[in-house]
Amino acid sequence: MRARPYGLGFAFLGPSLVLLILFFFAPVLLTGVFAFTNMSTATGIGSGYYTVTPSLLRDLKAEGVGQAADELSQGAFVVSPETIEAARAAGVDGRFVDEIAAKLQGRSFENSSEFQRALKDLDSRPRAIRALKLAMDPFTASVLNVRYDTRDAAFSAISAAAPSLDADAVNTVVNRAYTGWVFTPSNFAALVSKPDTWRVVANTIAYVGATLAFNVLVGLFLAIATFYLPRSSASFFNALWLLPRITPVVLYAIMWKWFTWDTGFIAVIARDLGLPSFNYMKGSVASAWTIVILLNGFIGASFGMILFSGSLRAIPMQQLWASEVDGANRWQQITRIILPQMRWPILFVTSYQTLSLLSSYETIWLTTNGGPGNTTTVWALEAFRTALSNYTGNLQYGLGSAMALILVAVGLVLSIAYLFLFKFDDLISSPKIEF
Amino acid sequence: MTRNFGILPVVVILLLCSAPLAIMYLYLVVDTFSNTPAGSLIPNEFTLEHWRFLIDTSLVGNVWMATFNSLLFAVAMVVIVLTLAATGGYAVSRLNLPFRRFFLAGILVMHAFPAVTLIIGTFLVLNFAGLYNSLIGVIVVKATFTLPFGIWIMKGFYDAVPWEIEMSGVQDGASRFTVWRRLILPQIKPGLVALGAFAFIDGWSEFLLPRILAPATDFQVLSVFLNELSSPDSMTYDFNLFKSVGLFYTLPILLLFIFFQNKLMNIFGGGTKG
Amino acid sequence: MTLKSKLAGSVALGLLAFGTMAVQAEDRTITVWAGGTGETGIYRVDAIKMAAELLQREYALSGKDIKINIETRTWSGWDDFKQAVTLAAESGSAPNIIVSGHEDIGPWAQAGILRPIEDYVDFDAWPLNQLYPNLIDVASYEGQIWGLPQDAEARAFYFSRNHMKAIGYSDADLDALPERVLSGEYTLYSMLDDVKKMQDEGVVEPGNGFAPRVSNGPDYWQFYQSFGGEMVDPETGKLVLDKQALTGMYQFFVDAVDKGVVSPTYLGRDFDDWHRGVVSDRYGAWHGGTFHVKQWESQFGLEDFFGTMQATLIPSGGEGGRANSITHPLVYLLSSEGSEEDAELSAELVTIASEPRINVLHAVKSAHLAIGTAEADIPLYANDRWLGFASKNLLPHANAIPNSADFGAYWTAMFKGLEASWTHTTSVEDAVKNVEAEAVSALGDKIVVR
Repeated sequence: MRARPYGLGFAFLGPSLVLLILFFFAPVLLTGVFAFTNMSTATGIGSGYYTVTPSLLRDLKAEGVGQAADELSQGAFVVSPETIEAARAAGVDGRFVDEIAAKLQGRSFENSSEFQRALKDLDSRPRAIRALKLAMDPFTASVLNVRYDTRDAAFSAISAAAPSLDADAVNTVVNRAYTGWVFTPSNFAALVSKPDTWRVVANTIAYVGATLAFNVLVGLFLAIATFYLPRSSASFFNALWLLPRITPVVLYAIMWKWFTWDTGFIAVIARDLGLPSFNYMKGSVASAWTIVILLNGFIGASFGMILFSGSLRAIPMQQLWASEVDGANRWQQITRIILPQMRWPILFVTSYQTLSLLSSYETIWLTTNGGPGNTTTVWALEAFRTALSNYTGNLQYGLGSAMALILVAVGLVLSIAYLFLFKFDDLISSPKIEF
Repeated sequence: MTRNFGILPVVVILLLCSAPLAIMYLYLVVDTFSNTPAGSLIPNEFTLEHWRFLIDTSLVGNVWMATFNSLLFAVAMVVIVLTLAATGGYAVSRLNLPFRRFFLAGILVMHAFPAVTLIIGTFLVLNFAGLYNSLIGVIVVKATFTLPFGIWIMKGFYDAVPWEIEMSGVQDGASRFTVWRRLILPQIKPGLVALGAFAFIDGWSEFLLPRILAPATDFQVLSVFLNELSSPDSMTYDFNLFKSVGLFYTLPILLLFIFFQNKLMNIFGGGTKG
Repeated sequence: MTLKSKLAGSVALGLLAFGTMAVQAEDRTITVWAGGTGETGIYRVDAIKMAAELLQREYALSGKDIKINIETRTWSGWDDFKQAVTLAAESGSAPNIIVSGHEDIGPWAQAGILRPIEDYVDFDAWPLNQLYPNLIDVASYEGQIWGLPQDAEARAFYFSRNHMKAIGYSDADLDALPERVLSGEYTLYSMLDDVKKMQDEGVVEPGNGFAPRVSNGPDYWQFYQSFGGEMVDPETGKLVLDKQALTGMYQFFVDAVDKGVVSPTYLGRDFDDWHRGVVSDRYGAWHGGTFHVKQWESQFGLEDFFGTMQATLIPSGGEGGRANSITHPLVYLLSSEGSEEDAELSAELVTIASEPRINVLHAVKSAHLAIGTAEADIPLYANDRWLGFASKNLLPHANAIPNSADFGAYWTAMFKGLEASWTHTTSVEDAVKNVEAEAVSALGDKIVVR
């Protein structure tokens, strides 16, 4: 047995580790890396390419590099001995090239449509339009809108097309012609400078704080209340409050929508009672916040309820009986006997729930979607919308990853803090068998 | 318990707090079987028409394929999570590993990690592995996210098993693997059942990951199906229809819940301190 | 049609000339994805299926037995669709043909997701030679034509005839309204006064006077233009943030809320409810697309559009502004996915799908406008009263949002600012300042602030 002391351990933990490294840590690493890039839909996730576009040329002109811009914007199609050779080398149909040489020798055309029209007059032209377009390519030396996959290819093409530029200038143009993403530290600066960011932070703190209070207090209340009830009614309430946690979030959102919509339950009752009747979910900032907190609170309270019920049962009955004999009423029982012994569970629930609330946004997304205006937008939701899902389709992976990274950092700090708080060592006892 | 004071005030307060929940779930069932005139809350006729989508695929689309996909997803989750958590939990609880404390600390930290914010990175890893837009990819990712919780829970249950059982098994000459399989596993059956039920529920309810990482219609799971159905752009904003599909969707979970309620309530009973 | 058989012959010969082995029976599959497409827009993808049918017959004439399978997928919204397309492109599983809004050409072309369609089709040949030139411009980016216009539309301002008559307008007044809007005489604030009057006289419920679009959309840029704003500088090609126009626009909506004709938490409501409200005459004035009329008629039971509603351009905001409309054409795009042969086949398919008689089915079914002169002549289209009205009164004054890889960030910031001022979360000046900060930090010198 001594020969392979760790064999079974690794065999048992191995597969989990592999999965965790691949699908947990690798994404964390990647998110950390992307947070320092300007990756977006326009730059793409993979590597980009180099291309000189008319707007780049316009910018160059505006910056005073006019001559180079002109040189680069030459888009003429020229029929000359060189280009005819190039066409033959490129594999264009021999007879067609001959005809071009014969009929269009020496002519130059300003743009591709003119050249195309001239070519369409020739008899031996290829009939398929794509073939015709491909045949036109060798006749131009233009670099405009041509895609170069490597930096070197772009460099040589641009230097060839714009002899007035020196190597440095060509390098600058090549850099600006790059369409892929680059590393940039500006994401974090951008986040800090936008006033919107701070509003989202305030929203997040308010949301986490309020829902946490609801979770812990209501969870405590439920656990203690059902503790005093006879078994059957206790289990009824336990079951009822466990339902939100196990109900699929999509259905849960639909149920709350039904409850709060213009035509929903609350609105109808309110109308009958003469109270304001409107869409409670999105109708006003205050009601939207209330609904959001209640929504998440009902789910979270069950976590506290389970945990607190478990630890309530650990309290020795004798203490409660003794206190009753001494004439204590229920409230005194709760405050003097029960609560002091619940300190650890309460702390545990608080820290655990803080972390899960920080990163929860599914329910908000499916119900208020950030609320009237952006008033119920929390950090996690904003990161999600920036990086993955918004109306204009302009997904900014880099900025979204930066926001996610900040959340991860906060989560990490908090969880390490609570590890220390709960005296981590006590959770581990050394294995009593050495092998 | 003691009967010092009436339980009535407690029950009243509890009922008031639970009222929204009770109402919502009650109407969930009632509305799927009835029609209510607009502006009122009392249904005026009993009807099965909201359930027609089960037989008529033209109403909402192919709900049975989505059900099958969800089932596949949830069962795969159960298998993977149970296997890996049962073994991994035992390793961190009972086996002598180097860096054991490190693993445990890591698991606790991962347990509370904001995992869903890592979707872009996850997309890239899946893409690299060629698993984007496949059910397997989503299953693996979801199982990985559930793993820290599973291992932690199982560790709790393993911790509650007395060392004597293992010691006697080892003294009788069995290998640790046999000890685990024959002696320990049966002891933690409640934990396995609870975790299995939880993993199934989690897999069945998962919405975000399939939506983003497997958008093809062939792999559509019921959660995405229901969400598309109830999207504001859809033709008919009929709450009753959404609720019927939703109730159909929740049915397996409710059944699981009824059968395993006690075990689920005790899922933390294995060994967290308190 | 001789031109068509000539094209068919060219296609056949071309394929031969390309040296492909003449396989007797061949199976090709082309995938098409379309966004923002509900029931009424189904011809966007069905047109490709019809084109495949025709193309198969053309091939059969030259003895080729080619079976073209078209796999389609539609999304009714935009968020999911654009995310699916982008991620699919990154993972190499993008469809061959994408139908999306023209504003996606900028970012997607830059990201390398698309093939420029001008490399695959002949704009001098039928049916592309009769397409409206301004639509072709809308489908261009950086000097290249990337897509084929799939439809055109304009966005209009609508008034309820009943309610306008109840506050004193006559039928003749209402018929003259489009002229007054065009000349700038009837402004957005005149509209606010009118709907306020409707509410005061009890014709319309409070808060229901004015019912704008419930979510983000190109429509909101119309109001920016109503107050004199330009989205892009025609000379330098840079995006423009006109602070004065933006302030005017935000202030207009704040004024509308303060007058009580629209709710402060209006944005984020439900489209379905809005449609119902329109059809049941709940609102005094609202705005939407020309295509909404078809939705109201076929899905929500609107019966007499011209008798119950009056359409005009979006009124000007006052001095310095202009009445305007925005057109948001969708385009057929070729993705970079797939082989050259697939791309050629897709190009042929979208070319045939632009055939007037095929495209007109989409136009009439979904109340979109014609993409070419020949299509406008087809009786099915020419006899449609609403399409004729829209083509004559709205389309000539409509412009499109710019094709730019960076416009999305500006758009998101603009809408955020609108939401913030509308809900009174921030003041109008602060909102405009925030938009400026966000746009400049995201776009740098690609945007000019005036």
